[in-house]
Amino acid sequence: MSLLSKLKQKSYQIAIISVVLAIILGFWKPHVLIEGIQRACLYAVIALPMALILGIVGIINLAHGDFMMLGAYFAYFLNVYTGMDPLLAIFPALFAFFLIGIVSYKAIIKYVLGAPELNQLLLTFGLAMIMEQLANLFWTSRPIKLSLNYVSSSATIGSFTFGTYEFVYIGAAIIVLAGLLLFLKRTSTGQAALAVGQNPRGAKLVGIHVDRTYLLIFSLSIALVGAIGAIFMTRHSIFPLVGAPFTMKSFCLIAMAGIGNLLGILWCSLILGLAENFVLSFRGYAGWADILFFALIVLVIMIRSRQRQVK
Amino acid sequence: MRISRYLLYIVILIFLLTLPIYTGVYLLNVIDIILIYIALALSWDMLLRSGQISFGIAGLFGVGGYAAVLFHLKLGISPLISILMGGLAAAVLAWLVGMAVLQLRGMYFAIVTLALAEIFRVIIRNLPDLTGGPEGTVLSSAIFAGSSTRTYWLVLAGAIVSIIASEFFRRTRIHFAITSIRNDEIVARSSGIDVFKYLVFIFVITSAIQGMTGGAYAHIYGFVSPEGSFSVDFTLLPIAMALLGGMHLTWGPVLGAVLLGAVSELLKLYIPYGHLLVYGVIIVITILFFPQGILGTLGQRLKKTDTG
Repeated sequence: MSLLSKLKQKSYQIAIISVVLAIILGFWKPHVLIEGIQRACLYAVIALPMALILGIVGIINLAHGDFMMLGAYFAYFLNVYTGMDPLLAIFPALFAFFLIGIVSYKAIIKYVLGAPELNQLLLTFGLAMIMEQLANLFWTSRPIKLSLNYVSSSATIGSFTFGTYEFVYIGAAIIVLAGLLLFLKRTSTGQAALAVGQNPRGAKLVGIHVDRTYLLIFSLSIALVGAIGAIFMTRHSIFPLVGAPFTMKSFCLIAMAGIGNLLGILWCSLILGLAENFVLSFRGYAGWADILFFALIVLVIMIRSRQRQVK
Repeated sequence: MRISRYLLYIVILIFLLTLPIYTGVYLLNVIDIILIYIALALSWDMLLRSGQISFGIAGLFGVGGYAAVLFHLKLGISPLISILMGGLAAAVLAWLVGMAVLQLRGMYFAIVTLALAEIFRVIIRNLPDLTGGPEGTVLSSAIFAGSSTRTYWLVLAGAIVSIIASEFFRRTRIHFAITSIRNDEIVARSSGIDVFKYLVFIFVITSAIQGMTGGAYAHIYGFVSPEGSFSVDFTLLPIAMALLGGMHLTWGPVLGAVLLGAVSELLKLYIPYGHLLVYGVIIVITILFFPQGILGTLGQRLKKTDTG
C-alpha cells in the first residue's frame, strides 16, 4: 500500500510539475503552448493508427505517412472535381482507404507476416517508394494547397492572437484515441484483436480468426490515416514527400510510448510537439528543431535497450 | 587451372582499364554511376551478412562527401588524399557511433541508422559557416579538371577495392564469425566469438567505403549540398540493387547494380519524374517472389539439380 501511494505521489508530482511548466510557458511564450499542443495532436493522431498496426499485426509500416499523403490527394481531387469540402471528404476517404487497406493487405502484407523483420521493413519501404513515386509521376512534386476560408479563423486574447482552426487536430486526436480505446476494450472484436496482438497462436487456439483480425486492423488503420490526410490537407500544402517525415515521427512516438500504449502516445507527442515549437520559437535556431525527433528516437531506443539488458 | 584463372582476371582488368577507349563520354558517365553504386551496394551487403541492416548509407556517404570537400577547401589537401580523408572521417564517426548503436539488433538498429543519417544532415545544414548551410558548397573545379577517363579509373578503383574487401570477408575466418552471428548470436557468443568486436570492425570498414565513395562523388561533381549528398537515393538504390542481385554474395550486389543502374539510366530518358518507381516495384516483387535475389535463386536451383 505504501508503495502504491508513493507511486501515486510520484505521478502526481510529475503532473503538477508539468502543469506548472505549461503555465509558465503559457505566460512566457503563449504561441509555443497553443501551437505546440495543436501540432502535438496532429502527430498523435497520425501515430495512433501506426501503433495499432505495430501492436496487433506486428509490422512496422514504413509506408504509413504515404498513405496519409494519398488521403490528402484524395480529398484534394474530390474537392476539385465535385467541390466537396475536405472535412466532409473524411467519410469517403475512410471508405476508400479501408478498401485500399484490404487490397494492400491481401496482395502484399499477408505474405511477409512470418518473414524476417528485414524483409518486412524492406517491403514496406518499397511500398512507400512506389506510392511516393506514383504521386510524383501523376501529380508532379509541385506543392498544392486549397484555399479555404474557415482555415484562417483566429481568436484574440488580450494582445495575443492564435489560429482556432487547428483545434480540429485536438478534436481528431481525442476522437480517434477514445474511439480506438473503446473499440479495443469494450467490443468483442476489439478484445479479440488485443488477444491476437498478445499471442497470435493462443488466439488461434481459442478460436479467433487471426488472419481476419489482421485484415480488419490493418484496413482500419489505413482508413484512419487516409481520413487524417483529408484533415491534414486543409491546413498544409501537400506534395508527394509530405508524408514521409510523419512515418519517422510516428515511429519515434511509438518507440517512446512503448508498443501497445495508445494513451502514452498522446503524452509523448505533447512533450515533443511543445519541445519542437519551443526550439522553433528562437529565431536563428529554427533549423535545429528537426533534430529533436531524430535525437530523441536514438536516445529512447538506446535507453530502452539498456533497460532490457539490465533486466 | 589456377594460372588460367589469374590470366582471366588480368584480361578482365585490362579490358576494364582500357574501357574509355571503346566508349563515349556519356556511356562512361553511366558506367561511373554504376561503379559508385557497386561500391555502395557491396558495402551495405557486407554489413548485412552479420544480420545488421543499415538504412544509414546516405548519412555516411554524405559525411564522407562533406569531409572530402572541406579537407580540400579549408586545409588545401589534394583531392585524391581528401577523398581518403573523407573515408577516414566516416570510419571514425562510424566507430564512435557504432560503440553505442551496435548494441541494437534488427529493426531497432535499422531505424536508428536512418535517424542518425537525418541527424548528420540536419547538423551539416545548420552549420552554414563551415558547410555552406542549405545551399551547400561548390568546388572551383571537379577532380582531374573533369577528365572523364581519370574519373572512371578513380571510381573503378573504388569498386575494385570494395569487391576485394568483400571477397576477403568471404574467404577468411571473418566469414564464419559473421555468418554465425547472423544465424544465431547466442551460439556465436558461446563458441568464443567476440560478437561486438566483429560488428564494430565490419561497421567501420563498410562505413569507410561509403565515406570514400561519397568523397569521390563529391569531387567528381564538384558539389555538396545537404539534400543532394544525403539524398535517400543513396540509401534506397544500393539496397534495391543488393536485394535484386542476391544478398550475402559478392557478385549479387554487383549484378544488381549493373542491371538496375542501366535500367534507371534508360528510364530517366523516358520518365523524367518518378523513374524511381521501378525501384520500389523491384523491391516489393523481389521480397514477395524471390527473397534470395537473382544469384541466390539461381544458386538454389543449381544445388537442387546437383543433388536431385
